[in-house]
Amino acid sequence: MFVVSLLIVAVVWEFYKWVGPADGGKVFGWSLLPRSNDNAMPHVWDMLSRYGRPEVRGSDREIWRVVLAGAWFSFRLALVGFVLGSTLGIALAVLMARFKVAERGILPYLVVSQTVPLIALAPLVVSWGGKLEIFGYEWPRWLSASVLGAFLAFFPVSVGTLKGFTSPPGASLELMQSYAASWWQTLRRLRFPAAVPFMVPALKLAASSSVIGVVVAEISTGLKGGIGRLIIEYGRQATSDPAKVFTAVFGAALLGLTMAGFVALADLWMMRNRPKETAA
Amino acid sequence: MSAIEITSVSKVFNRGSANQVDALVGVDLSVASGEFVSLIGPSGCGKSTLLRLIANLLEPSEGSIVVNGKSPEQARLDQDYGMAFQQSGLFEWRTVAKNIELPLELKGWGKSERRQRALEMLDMVKLADFADHHPWQLSGGMQQRVAIARALAVQPSLLLMDEPFGALDEMTREHMQSELLNICRAQGTTVVFVTHSIPEAVYLSNRVVVMSPRPGRITRIVDVAIEGERSDATRDNTAFFAGITAVREALRGVEMNDHIRGIEDR
Repeated sequence: MFVVSLLIVAVVWEFYKWVGPADGGKVFGWSLLPRSNDNAMPHVWDMLSRYGRPEVRGSDREIWRVVLAGAWFSFRLALVGFVLGSTLGIALAVLMARFKVAERGILPYLVVSQTVPLIALAPLVVSWGGKLEIFGYEWPRWLSASVLGAFLAFFPVSVGTLKGFTSPPGASLELMQSYAASWWQTLRRLRFPAAVPFMVPALKLAASSSVIGVVVAEISTGLKGGIGRLIIEYGRQATSDPAKVFTAVFGAALLGLTMAGFVALADLWMMRNRPKETAA
Repeated sequence: MSAIEITSVSKVFNRGSANQVDALVGVDLSVASGEFVSLIGPSGCGKSTLLRLIANLLEPSEGSIVVNGKSPEQARLDQDYGMAFQQSGLFEWRTVAKNIELPLELKGWGKSERRQRALEMLDMVKLADFADHHPWQLSGGMQQRVAIARALAVQPSLLLMDEPFGALDEMTREHMQSELLNICRAQGTTVVFVTHSIPEAVYLSNRVVVMSPRPGRITRIVDVAIEGERSDATRDNTAFFAGITAVREALRGVEMNDHIRGIEDR
């Protein structure tokens, strides 16, 4: 299905390029229709063939190698950010579920934190690179990008997990109480497993958010090696080599898809013992 | 020795506020060891509250409760009782056997001991083939049997049940009642059983405690005089019908008293 939809998108793209106005069009006086010339909308086959040619003239590295290496670099950063963010999110949810006071004190800050524009935060966090030392280790620059990924990722996880922690019915809680189970035992054996169906969509969101966080951090700080840096570099060359930037954009999309794919696999594994929604 | 000793217990919710509820007032009840006692009465008569007080899921506002010669809290901590609710409350992420193992796990039993006990309990409720199924793969009656097996897994001397068969169809229900009696007879378990159904209460119980609402209190205790062991044949027994009539009249008395009092109040 996915391949089919990709083909359809490619066909639509080429169709618009064929019928659309080359220099953009106006609808009732508004410039609404995008330009369809080769600079703005390169042919699909140009984009594809661009992957096979070297990154810069005279280089022996084809661009697909560069894009793949960049995607792999960013993927590792996003993965670190995802793990950091999910761990933090779950930890916060536990704290908020344990102490009602903590929920009232922390939750508003979590919401506020997500209204701070990432672009504003990125230079600040990146400036930690080389300045901060933790347990004798110098704070590496790449970790700043991961932290920004984590910053976007933790929010859905903490809110979703907290919701899941409060989902078990009263009878189940009474049952645990009748077993004289401690709060932590109740968390581990009842609240946590009951929260899994709530955590799965939250983790999916967190996976794509961590990719966005990392790519935006790379773009806004110019961190070298990742897909974000490639996007700005290639974007600058768009007038002379319009297909080039699209190779990097697709690389970023591939990155997001891979991340989402891993979470989907984890979803299958975590939900393997649950009733299937499609079951009659 | 009596298993449960309840002396002038009251329970008030939201004391002092506008929506104060006198859930129970001046309740005295003594349950002998090995006895089967049902609590019956209209909604809001406090029968579930009384059960939760015995289970130490609630604290009485006044009066004292002694369970197995201890405070209810100590009895709960010692897992002296097992509990079953109307909803089976099985954990969907655990297999049937693992659900039964849950209370044993919390008691710190070893893995193989737990498994062995769970299989014994499943054998007892005739679900031995379903140990590794998940609860959602079972019918409602089977799920309730698992819940009872779970309640009995720690081999408690006391079983507290809150309308455990309320959600089952009539056929399954009668079958489950007979099975419950067999199990409790074999283990010598004391049972306090909350129900809405008069035939169920009479069939199962040595004594039926009739309660009335506003405020919740015990109005009468009906002794069920059915001789010998109860079986499906008991349901055609004249003593069974006599019991049903007695409980029904006691419940009617509840309504009538309310009616008369209503007149007097005017």
